[in-house]
This record gives sequence, C-alpha cells and structure tokens, in this order.
Amino acid sequence: MNGPDLRSRPIIEVKNIRKEYPVGDETVVALKRINLTVMRGEICCIFGTSGSGKSTLLNQLAGMEKPTRGEVRIGGVPISRLNENQLASFRQKHLGFVFQSYNLLPNLTATENVAMPLLFRGVPRKQREEAARKLLTRVGLSHRLDHFPRQMSGGQQQRAGIARAFIARPDVVFADEPTGNLDSKTTVEIMDMICTFARDYHQTIILVTHDPEMASYADRIVKLIDGEIVSNQVNDKKERKRHES
Amino acid sequence: MKKQDLLRMCVQNLLRRKSRTFLTVLGVLIGCCSIVIMVSLGIGMKESQERTLAQMGDLTIITVNAPQNGRGKAKLDEALIKRIKKLDGVEAVTPKQTLEVETAQLIAGAGKRYVADWVTIVGLDTEAMEKMGYQIIEGGISDKSGEVIVGQFLAYSFRDTLRPEGYNMVDRWSGGWDENGKLTNVPPPYLDPIKTPMTLEVVQEGGKKISIPLTASGMTKEDYSKGSETSDGIMISLAEFKKLNEKIQGSKKKPRPYDSVMVKVTDINQVERVENDIKVMGYNTDSMESIRKPMEKEARQKQMMLGGLGAISLFVAALGITNTMIMSISERTREIGIMKSLGCYVGDIRMMFLSEAGAIGLLGGIIGCIISFVASVIINLVSLGLSPDNLLPALLGGPDVSRVSIVPPWLLLFAVVFSVFIGLGSGYYPANKAVAIPALEAIKSE
Repeated sequence: MNGPDLRSRPIIEVKNIRKEYPVGDETVVALKRINLTVMRGEICCIFGTSGSGKSTLLNQLAGMEKPTRGEVRIGGVPISRLNENQLASFRQKHLGFVFQSYNLLPNLTATENVAMPLLFRGVPRKQREEAARKLLTRVGLSHRLDHFPRQMSGGQQQRAGIARAFIARPDVVFADEPTGNLDSKTTVEIMDMICTFARDYHQTIILVTHDPEMASYADRIVKLIDGEIVSNQVNDKKERKRHES
Repeated sequence: MKKQDLLRMCVQNLLRRKSRTFLTVLGVLIGCCSIVIMVSLGIGMKESQERTLAQMGDLTIITVNAPQNGRGKAKLDEALIKRIKKLDGVEAVTPKQTLEVETAQLIAGAGKRYVADWVTIVGLDTEAMEKMGYQIIEGGISDKSGEVIVGQFLAYSFRDTLRPEGYNMVDRWSGGWDENGKLTNVPPPYLDPIKTPMTLEVVQEGGKKISIPLTASGMTKEDYSKGSETSDGIMISLAEFKKLNEKIQGSKKKPRPYDSVMVKVTDINQVERVENDIKVMGYNTDSMESIRKPMEKEARQKQMMLGGLGAISLFVAALGITNTMIMSISERTREIGIMKSLGCYVGDIRMMFLSEAGAIGLLGGIIGCIISFVASVIINLVSLGLSPDNLLPALLGGPDVSRVSIVPPWLLLFAVVFSVFIGLGSGYYPANKAVAIPALEAIKSE
C-alpha cells in the first residue's frame, strides 16, 4: 500500500476525526474515524460517490467546519482549533480554493477576482492587479482581463478560478469537483493546468471528485465509502504519464 | 484590507443596485431635511422673539428701586453703588436722579423764539454711559460745566412762539408709517440742539427765575429701557447735577437719595443671578428677565417639538437602511462565504457592510443639508417678498431682517454627523448578520 515516497514531509495530518450532524432528532454520522496523511507536493484525490462523505472531509480539511472529534493539522498547525481570525489569516497564507461552480464574484472583473486573495492581505492595488494579470495571461485569458464572469464561458471562468487559487502561492489548494460543470475537452485542459501549477511550485492539491477518470491525475487516491476510508493508495506513475501526454 | 480598497468596494457595491441605493438615500435625505428645516424654523422663531424683546429694551439692564415700604436702611446711595459694582457679572452701574422743579423751560433761538416746556433733566454717571449701552449718535460725552447730552428727539419738544397755538410744533409722526412699520417723511425739527446754544430757565424755591446757559455736546439714541430722557430729555453728570440742584434749592438742604440705580450685566445669562443678589440686599429690581424667561422656555419647547418631528422621519429612514442592508446581505450570502474562504477577515466583512450603511447616511445627510439650505433660503425669500433685492437678506439675514428659517453652520454639521450615525447604527445589526455567515456557504450548491 505504501510505496516508496521521496516527498518525505507530511503537510496534512488527519487524526481520528469524526463528524456528526444533527438531523431532526437523530444524529447522522458523516465521517467515522478518519486518519489520513498527505505529503508535501502530493496531488491527493478524495474519491467517492455522492453521500460518501467526501465533501464533508474536504470541509474538515479546509477548516470550513470543525470536526466533532479529532484534529486536522496543516503544516503542523491545528486548524480545527483556530478561531475565525486566525483561520482567515491562515487561509490567506496557506490555502487556495477551486470551486465546482467557479464562485467568481459577479461584480468584479477577472483581474479583480484573481487579485482578491491579495486584496485581503492588504497588497496595494497596482501590485496585486499586475500579479493577477500575469497569472491570467499564463492560464490563457490575456484577452479576458477586464471581462466580468458573465461575459466568460465556464472553462474561462474556471481558469480564472485556478489563477485565483494559486495567486497567493498557497501550500495547499483544495479543488472540489473542479470540472464538474465542464465538458471533457475542457476538463483535460483544466486538470493539466492544476497539475502543472502544483508541480511548478511544489504545492499540494486535494482533489475531491466522483469521477474515476479524474483520479488518474493523482499521486494518491483515497477512496471513501459511507464516511470511512476504504483504500488509500499511491497511484501508478505510468498511468499518470499516459494521461498527461 | 486597506482603507482605500474598503472604500472602493463600498462604492462598487452601492452602485450595483443603483435604484435601491437611491431610494434608501432618499429616505435619509428626507429625514435629514425635515430635521434641518424644523430646527431652523425653531431657531428663526426664537431669534425673532429676541428681536422683539430687544426692541422693547436692553435685555441686560436691571433697574434697582428702593423698597416701597422701606423705612430707613435700604437707601439708594453711594454705598449701594459700590456694593453692586463688586458683584460678579456687573459691567457698569449708574445712579439716576431727576431734577424736581416746578417749571423748567428750555429756550433757544434768536429772541427766545423756541421754547420747550417740561424738559426732564437727569443726572447720571456720564463716564459709565458708554458701558451702560447708551448709544451716542452725534457728538460725544462731556462733563464740562454747562455741557449736556440731549435725547434724540428733544428738538421736537420745542414750540415756535411766533406761530399760533396748534400750529407751533413739528409733528414727528405726520409722515405716517411705511409697510415695515417705520416712520417715513419725517419733517425736520425747528432746530438742531447740538449746534444751537440753549438756556435753561427754572424757578427757584423762593419764586425767583434763574437762567443757566447750556450747550449740547452729544445726542443719545432713543432707548426707553434706559428712560424717556434718551428721547426728549437732557442728561448731565452727577457733579453738574448737584451744582444745579444747589442753585435751585439752596445748599442747605440734605442731599436726596438717588431715584434709581441702573445696572448693566455682562451677559444675558447672568441677569437672573445678579438680579437675585440685589434682591437679597433688600431692594426692588426690574428687568426684561421676567418676560424673557417664559418666552425662552416656550421657544425651547416648540424647538424640541419641531426637532422631534424631524427626528422621527430620520428614524424611519434608519429602518429603511436596515432593510436595504439585510436584503443586500441575503443576496450576497454566497459572496460573503467565498470571501471568507479566500481569507477575508471577519472585521473586514463587518467594515464592508458598516461602511455601506454609513455611506448611505453620509450621502443622504450631505444632499439633505444642501436641499434644506436651499429650501430655507426659499422660505425666507417668500416671507420677505420675492425679489432679487431680498436674496441676500434671505441668505444672510441682517440687523433689520427677521428670517423665518435660520440655518446656522452647526446645524448642518450636526445633521450630517447625525445621519452618518443613524447609518452606522442601522447597519450594525445587518453587519453582524453578515459576519455570522460561514465560509461553507461558498461550497453549498445553489
């Protein structure tokens, strides 16, 4: 199960987390005793059908929700125990997000959207927008810099979303069904883009999907069924190479 | 987040829903206008009231009289003057004494042509006159022997001995009044008392007539709160008065106490206290205070009532702001979630919504102030009569202009600050609601 791994340092450590939700009078257990370690620079795919608890796990990893029990550490920081402001500043420095429905702010241009994480950090406007334009050019949107999200196609919006996730050079980027709303050709483009960015900056990607095709991009595949990890394996590199070519 | 970025976002968000922002601002604007205009009417009312009182007399003068049944101690004498001068808030004090003679005639002109009967002659502290608030409209104050100060309209008291009875005096009121209640076409008197040497003829105790030559060094403006002598009498210094009195009555008689003492107080707010201090000494006092106080109280009550009416409409506008903000937050729930998941501080989100609410208040306040200022000028213009000549008085007022609506700068400043606070106050609850939205909202599917 554990093949030789050169990336020795763990970036995400999940210890015994459990998540329960109250539904009416009953309690639904979404996650039961999850233990997981993701290494720095890994592309980790959390794979499962709908209702398997994969989105819940992502929420715990990203600090969107606090687990009922257990602990999540990112880079050694117990994010499940941070308060709102500590979490905000942790997100600014260490986390990036790519959403299924892109989640660009509709009243901001592509450049402004991409520059937003830097805005929250207090980077001056000129500087952050220049960085945003550079990154947008890299994802092939140099002709859409001042367009609003509604003036762009789904694929273009998601490319802007990727630029936004990577602009602050985070340690970990969470991608929740990033290609769920896209056609297969665009899916390949988007996934290649994410993987290229991750490798260039040695960043860790947590990819949540129900699509087995997507799993082939990953270094590590974690399978989830009914809130439990049923398998956690390092992906065969040859298969990945085949896909990339 | 940087301040200029917060400001930019605030403007951007307000411009997103232009009609909604406009309507909310309109609500604040109306509230602000109603406060400013109502209060300005109150101030106008108060000012015209004070103007009316001031026309009735100097509001800071207290007249002190000896008690009616006062046998003995409470005399109006030099000792009392000294005591009053020592009181806090007293600007100047002068005793007053009127010459008591059977007949006093003032004669002027060649061949004793012009004669004024029953002229009041008052002795007072001429050095204190200026401080007391006597207005000298011609010449100056002099205490040289034989020099006097005359009342403004003394000249009209003279009759022409060469004309028949009934046609021998100049009637100051013959020209009638204009629409503002001012005398017009005032005919000139027979003589100018400042330039004409006069002779005072009085009958002594023994029945012997004596003549004293007089020249007028100055003329006071008519002011009945200081006595009728400012209109048609003669004022002389106390020393001169004493000499004159001795000439008429003989030096053997004991000097009489003063008829009354006039006290000028530094400030209108000190009048009540000084008046009380003097009453405690056992004297009767008289001032405009007894009229002014209840009038002021009534004006203040009316002002509060008007201001309260205005405030109610601003509070209604506050509900409008809260409503707008809550709507905008429920529309932007997802956005707030996205911003939080990208690392926006909770404090920045609160500031974002508070600044939007505050900006609505500020905008409404500023526009409201501009509109109410213009409205105030229009109200004044209408009340003064619509003509370009009245524009400046309507705007700035003047000593003779009583404006219906007065907008002092502090009122505008207060209205803007109050509107901003109303905005911030009504944005407080929605902002806290926005802050409570979890980052998870970003991931929820629509």
